[in-house]
Amino acid sequence: MDPDFRGDSDHHDGTSDATPGGYIEQRRPGELGFSVFLTLASLFLLYNAYGISGFKALSSPGSVPMATTLVMAVSAFIVTLRTSRLSKVAHETLSKDILPVMVILFIGFLVIFGLLLKPLGFVLTAALFLIVAIKVLARKGWGYTLTVALGSLVVIWIVFRVVFTVLLPAGILPEAEFIQFFRNLMSGGAS
Amino acid sequence: MAILTIFTQPQLLLLVGVGTFAGIYIGAIPGLSVTMAVSILISFTFSWDVYPAISLMVGIYMGGVYGGSRTAILLNIPGAPSAIATAMDGYPMAQQGEAGQAIGVTTVMSFFGGLIGILVLAVAAPFVADFAITFQPRDYMLLAVLGILLVGSLSSGSLVKGIFAGALGIAIGAVGRDPLTFAERFTFDLKLMEGGISFIAVMIGMFGVSEALQQLQNVNMKAVRQKIDKIVPSFGTVKKYLPLSLQTSSIGVIIGALPGTGGDIAALMAYDHAKRVTKNPEVPFGKGAMEGLVAPETANNAAVGGAFIPMMTLGIPGDAVTAIMIGALFIHGLNPGPMLMVDQPDMFWFIVGALLMANVFMLIFGLTGIKIFTKIVEMPRSIIIPLILLLSIVGAYAVNNSITDVYWMLGFGVFGYFMRHYGYPLGPVILGVILSRLLDDNWRRAIISEREDLGRFFEGIITSPLSLTLFIAVILIFLSQTPVWTAAKTRLFGKASS
Repeated sequence: MDPDFRGDSDHHDGTSDATPGGYIEQRRPGELGFSVFLTLASLFLLYNAYGISGFKALSSPGSVPMATTLVMAVSAFIVTLRTSRLSKVAHETLSKDILPVMVILFIGFLVIFGLLLKPLGFVLTAALFLIVAIKVLARKGWGYTLTVALGSLVVIWIVFRVVFTVLLPAGILPEAEFIQFFRNLMSGGAS
Repeated sequence: MAILTIFTQPQLLLLVGVGTFAGIYIGAIPGLSVTMAVSILISFTFSWDVYPAISLMVGIYMGGVYGGSRTAILLNIPGAPSAIATAMDGYPMAQQGEAGQAIGVTTVMSFFGGLIGILVLAVAAPFVADFAITFQPRDYMLLAVLGILLVGSLSSGSLVKGIFAGALGIAIGAVGRDPLTFAERFTFDLKLMEGGISFIAVMIGMFGVSEALQQLQNVNMKAVRQKIDKIVPSFGTVKKYLPLSLQTSSIGVIIGALPGTGGDIAALMAYDHAKRVTKNPEVPFGKGAMEGLVAPETANNAAVGGAFIPMMTLGIPGDAVTAIMIGALFIHGLNPGPMLMVDQPDMFWFIVGALLMANVFMLIFGLTGIKIFTKIVEMPRSIIIPLILLLSIVGAYAVNNSITDVYWMLGFGVFGYFMRHYGYPLGPVILGVILSRLLDDNWRRAIISEREDLGRFFEGIITSPLSLTLFIAVILIFLSQTPVWTAAKTRLFGKASS
């Protein structure tokens, strides 16, 4: 493995967490814009941190927030300067390599999931999400999609709702009654 | 006797076993990481008693570090960052039809490495904790800074990006009302910000959602099947590589014990060590050398025990997973650090026992079930990705039954996605969030004890050998990124080493 190589890990060697993407000697599409955004956001947070307690005392509640946002602003500015001097990666585009339609689509799915979770309830929202997501990604028939999506949902629901007793929004389904029925069935079976 | 708790309670034993089994598969499936799994798991186990929750998490951690090696060998895709070095010789071995042998040796050597790491943890941690009781607030502050900087500098090509990520994490951790003065910090006068941002939402977003979004670009990647023969290695093979494994285990424990460095760095350093000390390998390194497998695999599992040393004794995480485990202990009302070892030594010995059992389970599961394994690893990403996203949502929601946390998770997921693409490491963000309170509290204690005088604060650093050592280490990390340092290194060691 070339130690200088910092290409997008998932395009190449499949590693994750500890090996971020990016290139040392080149700039990816949108990288300069991202670093400018970070610099401006850090400056805004620095201004906000100053508002906590100003320069009242070194032990004031605003001292660490001010120091950290100052470090953020300075480091983001240095990154912006360095990035601006780099040449662009020739073969990459923003829409193909950084923010493809599929990623935007899934971010949209997740936002809709969050919006529907309370009114519709977990089971229906998750079923809709899984069916649409698997259909879009696998591009297989409805039989496959429905079997995999609903089968996975049943397993997840049993593991988390019944075994881990995680409270999830019931929405329009009578989930509590169903769980009680399920428990009665289990206890009846046991006796 | 707390070390025996795990052996006497079948339920806990079962949880360690289930955790290890799950960890092996989570670590092995590309796209699922141990950090992601443990962060999602915290949200489901926070209502449990502490022992069962820790049992499951320890199993997943131990299994996950090992599991990454399997896909590294079979598919040339390290399932976890700690298996990057394993792929270098493991995959060539698989291509030569020796995948079974590679997996077998890897498993046994991971067991040895893990065992040594746990033994060192058991012996060294009580001494470190005794020593840590003498630490001043400024030492804790410097240790926290050092940990964040080390993760930032070692896990990314750019220290500046690592520093940004660490500072961002500290700022996120400061959101909400200040626990000492009740002053609002970064709340923007919004009620929902007063309680702060759930660090679980940040973790799941950064490690779960951002990873899943990134995997969307590789949905159609196909696995290449390898023929797998005999797995259990002969006694002669194990004996032959034992001396090397002892050396690389030591490297693993030491690197793992340094705040901020984990199995991935330990494995790469051990691989480098094996290359230097093995004069005439039977097969050249990079082409399927057994030494190239033994070294990283012993080191990364030894690093697990090592990473627990600073976590248990100082409250400073050894790597991203231990950072999350510190969060888990906080949730269960425990405060990792020297006082935990004094007040609740049972908890420490319980973790040692759980690690030991997880190591044994890893050996058993590692040498069996290979056929099911290959089937699960080949599970299509078109199913895995929606499931990760669904679990992330459930996990973020479950902690506070709050939709706001789901949106925080989504926001940090998208932000983390861009950070990944542009070379910003995520580890320092999580370390920053976890260590924010420790750093803030200790800075304020230190400066109040010096009567708000910065001169006296630095005088205190210079006159205390420990503070001075930590301070010099922090300065050296900064210096190591400057052109002057690079020029000096090139002049001293030549261009090759740089």
